[in-house]
Amino acid sequence: MKKFFMPLVLSMFMITTSCTKSDSAKVKADGSLEKVLNIVVGAKVKGFDPNQASDRYSGNEVARIYEGLLQFHYLKRPYELVPNLAESMPEVSSDGLTYTFKIKKGVMFHDNACFPNGKGRELTAEDFVYSIKRMADPREQSKGWWLIDGKIKGLNAWKEKSGKADKTDYSEKLEGIQAIDKYTLKFVLSKPFPQFLYSLAMPFTYAVPKEAVQKYGKEFINNPVGTGPFITGKYTQANKIVYTKNPNYRDEFYPTQGAPGDKERGLLKDAGKKIPLVDKLVVKIMTEEQTRWLNFKKGKLDSMSIPTEEFANVMIPGKGLSDSFKKQGIVERKVVGLDVTYNAFNHEHELFKNNKKLRQAMSSAFDRDSYNKKFYQGVSLAAQSVVPPNIAGHIMNFKGPYQNFNVEQAKKLLSEAGFPDGNGLPEITLHYTYSTKSRQMAEVFQQNMSKIGIKIKPTGVTWPELVKLVNTKQTMMFSMAWGADYPDAENFLQLLYSKNSAPGANGSNYSNPEFDKMFEKAAIMSDSPERTALYEKMYKFAAEEVPWVIGFHRVTYGLIHGWVENSKSIEFDHGMAKYKNINMAKKADLLKKL
Amino acid sequence: MQIFQYSLRRLLYLIPVMLGVSFLVFFLFNVVAGDPTPLLLGKNASAAQVAELREQLGLNKSFLAQYLDIVKSAFTFDFGRSWATQQQISDIISQRAWPSLTLTLPAFLISSILSILISLVVSFYRGKGLDISIRVLCIALMSISSLVYIIIGQKFLAAEWELFEISGYEEGFPYFVPYIILPVIIWVVLSLGPDIRFFRTVILDEVYQDYVRTARAKGLSEKVIFLRHVLRNAMVPMITYFVIQLPFLIMGSLLLENYFDIPGLGSEVVRAANSNDFPVLKAFSILFSVAYIVFNLITDILYAVVDPRIKLQ
Repeated sequence: MKKFFMPLVLSMFMITTSCTKSDSAKVKADGSLEKVLNIVVGAKVKGFDPNQASDRYSGNEVARIYEGLLQFHYLKRPYELVPNLAESMPEVSSDGLTYTFKIKKGVMFHDNACFPNGKGRELTAEDFVYSIKRMADPREQSKGWWLIDGKIKGLNAWKEKSGKADKTDYSEKLEGIQAIDKYTLKFVLSKPFPQFLYSLAMPFTYAVPKEAVQKYGKEFINNPVGTGPFITGKYTQANKIVYTKNPNYRDEFYPTQGAPGDKERGLLKDAGKKIPLVDKLVVKIMTEEQTRWLNFKKGKLDSMSIPTEEFANVMIPGKGLSDSFKKQGIVERKVVGLDVTYNAFNHEHELFKNNKKLRQAMSSAFDRDSYNKKFYQGVSLAAQSVVPPNIAGHIMNFKGPYQNFNVEQAKKLLSEAGFPDGNGLPEITLHYTYSTKSRQMAEVFQQNMSKIGIKIKPTGVTWPELVKLVNTKQTMMFSMAWGADYPDAENFLQLLYSKNSAPGANGSNYSNPEFDKMFEKAAIMSDSPERTALYEKMYKFAAEEVPWVIGFHRVTYGLIHGWVENSKSIEFDHGMAKYKNINMAKKADLLKKL
Repeated sequence: MQIFQYSLRRLLYLIPVMLGVSFLVFFLFNVVAGDPTPLLLGKNASAAQVAELREQLGLNKSFLAQYLDIVKSAFTFDFGRSWATQQQISDIISQRAWPSLTLTLPAFLISSILSILISLVVSFYRGKGLDISIRVLCIALMSISSLVYIIIGQKFLAAEWELFEISGYEEGFPYFVPYIILPVIIWVVLSLGPDIRFFRTVILDEVYQDYVRTARAKGLSEKVIFLRHVLRNAMVPMITYFVIQLPFLIMGSLLLENYFDIPGLGSEVVRAANSNDFPVLKAFSILFSVAYIVFNLITDILYAVVDPRIKLQ
């Protein structure tokens, strides 16, 4: 027995020590070490179809493989669009309806079995025509359809016709999107829509080859074939996605200009170098926070956001990052989210319709400071109106007249609204998507309101139920948050436009002709000081009107190991891994300190 | 022949059971769960798009037609594709079952062998200090939540002391081995408490039987009595206990797979539940019911094999 047992135990140990596919760097043919970026994702990635990339996780993975006409400048702020697969920014007609793009020559799709002999072919303007039409194909159910719905001439009619036909006819020529020649693409819009260019930087509109869609059919989502800087094989929904550098990637370079201060922070050290700068990306899908945290602390992940439970140990109030982390070369990164949280009123409910004083009273009774400490570690920003910072239309240092916690003011306003001390006011139901945290949030709001005599009934429901209640206008109040689709105030102000009422994005059914007039005017204006002034006017207007009890612009903190270079916080980070770099000498040194 | 007839009859019982399971699945996912389309289409979906998708997913069909679709899939095992990942559900199961089994099968075997051995020892020394200590230890082990074992094991044994991998999984033998050692140990520790207590009770039930007294009177050694007679007679409840656990092994472990990033069926269930991926959830519910029934049948057949006195009727 002993004779058998000892070798067994020894072999188990040998397996343990020798069979791990090591995280340590491999040596490349030229003698240098392979640079691997270890990225973590906190939720499962659905797949690689740009049409389905509605969540951030899928969008990020799609953008490692596929590319669009435009992209956001990695360093410049405020956000600026720059060409990606487009040769240059488009020519726009004077009426703002026609956009003509020249696309880059010699861009090749990845080698894949969907092409003859498995060799990737050149990208042409027709690929964009196909990809945009695919967004409208009713058989594809693109989650990005809203982005171009009603905006490209003839596309809605084509969608409708395709829905009635047995098969979608992609060969039909449309006025709204045409390939003028191999490298020229023309869009004709049905009405001016200055935000159109942002659409072309979003993963939904990235170019896909029709050969891959036809070959893989429903499984196209798991068989990525793009033009991007990285390549991966068939996606099997495993907990790890490994990308290698695209050996045929065209000549693209790290930006030579950035925002003020970027040079000092070392963000221009690789200026002008060919991208991608790393050899491999390893995306690890870890749904549990503890797993992510332990792996980060051991250097197996390059960055992650600070876990809620660890926040007090990591960030010392008034001092920033704790010394123990600083000694390990770890740096913190603050991310101000382009979002807004709110408890919306249903303006079609008799109670809130035309009762501005009641809305103002409730907003004044909401103690944002203590709420911030309880739920956001005190680091989020109390919103003063609907547009978040870093977007034109947000006014720095502006104080909303009803955003400050003031019980006396709230009581006075409530009395003026006709409900002194809450008398005569019915119980108000607040619907929220059920989770422990959101229940606690609703209960704190309930306690705040009870101080001025308003009774709130928090009611947790599932997300589909909440959507149904909001869409059918059956709520009194509901909790919601909105994240930016693109960095334009229009994306937030549209939430108050009456023509977007439920089931549209304006779930609160707020309706004000004066606001609508301003919105309609701004909606067709190109980016200009005049438009910003109009946005700011609407920002102040909303703060006075209190269409919702406006909550917060959420702020999060991330940690990055010191060996990661060129790491800049960017809200629209899809496709940006190509700019990241790893300092291998520093990594070897810092790993010893972990 | 008798076994064959019995098995056939029991398998025929599957038909009404599957109709019932299908109804439950239909009631839960098609009636109670609400409309999945808003979550599937995202925050910007228009009403027209929601209507289109409902049509494509067959949600506009009558309840009867929807129920019949589920019945059909339950009997043909054709569950279609996942709504979220578009993979064939049969592919998901075949890809994910293996990682689950690489964790659960060794864990199950080790914990079963260990717990039988320990329960034989404690039964042998029943009422003595060793028996009492192990019983107390078992209750202590059972009183601690499984999450505590996972969190502490991962934090100290893996991260701090670097004895094991923190998380991860690699396809193929022996690459997966380093990643499953800690989860296997945790599974074994979690199983030992209830298993030892159960087996000890089963063995002690036999120890006081007349045939044991007779064996002793015949002068057989305690070792022979335990290993040859008591253990054999205790096999019937033990077999039930083991075989009933087998379908659970294929389903993996939700918590262990999530914390240790093992891409098995357990973590797939969590993903499907989080993303309203009803076809996957329906398929798993139905397959699990079938597996449960089939393994129950196997248990009954094994009874007859182990104990010839049991007649299958």
